[in-house]
Amino acid sequence: MAAVTLTNVVKRFGVFEVVHGANIDIADGEFVVFVGPSGCGKSTLLRMIAGLEDISGGDIAIGGKVINDVEPADRGIAMVFQSYALYPHMTVGQNLSFGLRMNGNPKADTERRVRKAAEILRIDELMQRRPKQLSGGQRQRVAIGRAIVREPQVFLFDEPLSNLDAELRVQMRVEISRLHKELGVTMIYVTHDQTEAMTLADRIVVLKAGNVEQIGAPLDLYDDPANRFVAGFIGSPKMNFLSAKIVDTSNSAATIELAHHGGVRLRKPLAEAFPAVGAEVVLGVRPEHFFEAGEGDCDIPVKADVAEHLGSVSYVYANAGPEELIVEREASRQRASGDHFKVSIKAERALLFDKAGARIR
Amino acid sequence: MRTQNATAYRFLTPYLLIFAIFWIWPIVSSFMISFQATRTVPWRFAPAFNWGRLIGDPAFYNALTNTLLILVIQVPVMIALAIIMAVLLNSPLLKARGLYRFAFFAPVVVGEVAYSAVFRLMFSLDFGIVNKLLNSVGIPKIDWFSNVTPAMALIMIAVTWRWAGYNAIIILAGLQSIPEDVYEAATLDRVSRVKQFFHITLPLLKPVIVFCAVLSIIGTMQLFTEPFLITERGGPGGGTETLGLLLYRQGFRSLNFGYASAVAYTMAGLAIAITLVQLWLMREPK
Repeated sequence: MAAVTLTNVVKRFGVFEVVHGANIDIADGEFVVFVGPSGCGKSTLLRMIAGLEDISGGDIAIGGKVINDVEPADRGIAMVFQSYALYPHMTVGQNLSFGLRMNGNPKADTERRVRKAAEILRIDELMQRRPKQLSGGQRQRVAIGRAIVREPQVFLFDEPLSNLDAELRVQMRVEISRLHKELGVTMIYVTHDQTEAMTLADRIVVLKAGNVEQIGAPLDLYDDPANRFVAGFIGSPKMNFLSAKIVDTSNSAATIELAHHGGVRLRKPLAEAFPAVGAEVVLGVRPEHFFEAGEGDCDIPVKADVAEHLGSVSYVYANAGPEELIVEREASRQRASGDHFKVSIKAERALLFDKAGARIR
Repeated sequence: MRTQNATAYRFLTPYLLIFAIFWIWPIVSSFMISFQATRTVPWRFAPAFNWGRLIGDPAFYNALTNTLLILVIQVPVMIALAIIMAVLLNSPLLKARGLYRFAFFAPVVVGEVAYSAVFRLMFSLDFGIVNKLLNSVGIPKIDWFSNVTPAMALIMIAVTWRWAGYNAIIILAGLQSIPEDVYEAATLDRVSRVKQFFHITLPLLKPVIVFCAVLSIIGTMQLFTEPFLITERGGPGGGTETLGLLLYRQGFRSLNFGYASAVAYTMAGLAIAITLVQLWLMREPK
């Protein structure tokens, strides 16, 4: 087991800088998820930790030792690839033991490690099969097994569940979580799926265009996002953003007028910064933070467009002027397209962002 | 559905007619001819005439031995060379890869007569560049055309030069279909590049290599151009005569079509048998 520290890590491909000085501290035994949209640099960061990509600047340390110039095999890491990267011509057993056999590891020890990995992942019965004879979930288990036999200090997962169907993804997510508890090893996991990030991580690193936007525990990011990007990325369905304007600031609060809802106003207490009167801002409201009319600090009329009924909860995609809102309502099961109704916003459950996307607290 | 099928066959009829006349009929006809004595007119049915002669004909055994010798030595060497060329072509370190790919493939599109003439010149006893190069490093001149062993070597060199690049391009396509992350996984497993080549690349290339080997076996069984043009009709003294050349000599010089047909079917049978054995040896384990 080992801590992983990234200090001002930069990655350039030719003249293009794709990671701009990432600083991340990952504690020993922690499960950290790198999350962000495609092209944000999360896989590049992971591959730099693995040693599969050179580091253009900064330092990466594992267990307190800078490993910038250490060979991938000597970093004490094991990686699970998105495409599984199993050796297609070898059986499951051969796949698991290949690395150890090639390095002259004693046969008895190799057998012990393979047996242990097979037991942990419940793939004992698949040992004689080849990858093409396995389902997606079984392949992923074998790929994880191959990482386990290396007995690494750090596990790296590069979007390991992307190729699985929804049901299997949930099942494997639970298994990976169980594996982390069982092994207690540091795990770094890359995904673009915020649900995976929220359910698996001790802490999440949100990345955008090569920058670390925020690092924190899943619910901290959900409840207290640093900016509009994190607020929009974490949470499903995503947060609603309503255009607004500051019309007054007094008594540690700002009065905000929503732009497209007939001059509806909301008074939002602020603790840190007070934007200028007249400044354009954005009000963020999560779908579950719309209340019944009259229950909040201001009501806005909406017209239902599409309703998704998931059983325990419904999501109503509604038009509110030119803005489209997603409203979560337990009582919306009967809502149909074209229905007019009102939703209410509580100031304490709404977040305020400036025009550039920074949080106003 | 039946109407649809009938319509489809009506559209296919012109092609099927041409296929039947120019492919099926010659195959059937030549097979029947192989059972006929064709040295005198009229031809007569005599099953043992050609097939019996084949069994005891020293010229046939000479051609068969030469063909198999070329096959056993040249095909493995060429495939090995093609694999090396493909690996080099696939290297990210190589500059101007497109140019090399073209250069390796170019021999296939060069006219057979032109390339044979150039090879004759290059290997000429007194004026050839090959002997001059050998001389410059202290090796005495070799008479490539008058001695059987150098003549056979020359045929193998020529065929290898012509087809190695072609096979390399096919193998390169196979190489490029191997996912990069398999190698990355091996790198993380501390498997050296050499071990990666033998334990990952070669096994994953097996289907492509088998394909190239089968094509090459079929080609070598039919080998004709090189011994005809480079070593002048299988010279010296039949030393490089192949089955293809024997077939030509019997069929189109002596007009003994029955015997030529028997030789042709022997060639086809051997090619099929060798290919089947090879496919069996290289089969995927269950």
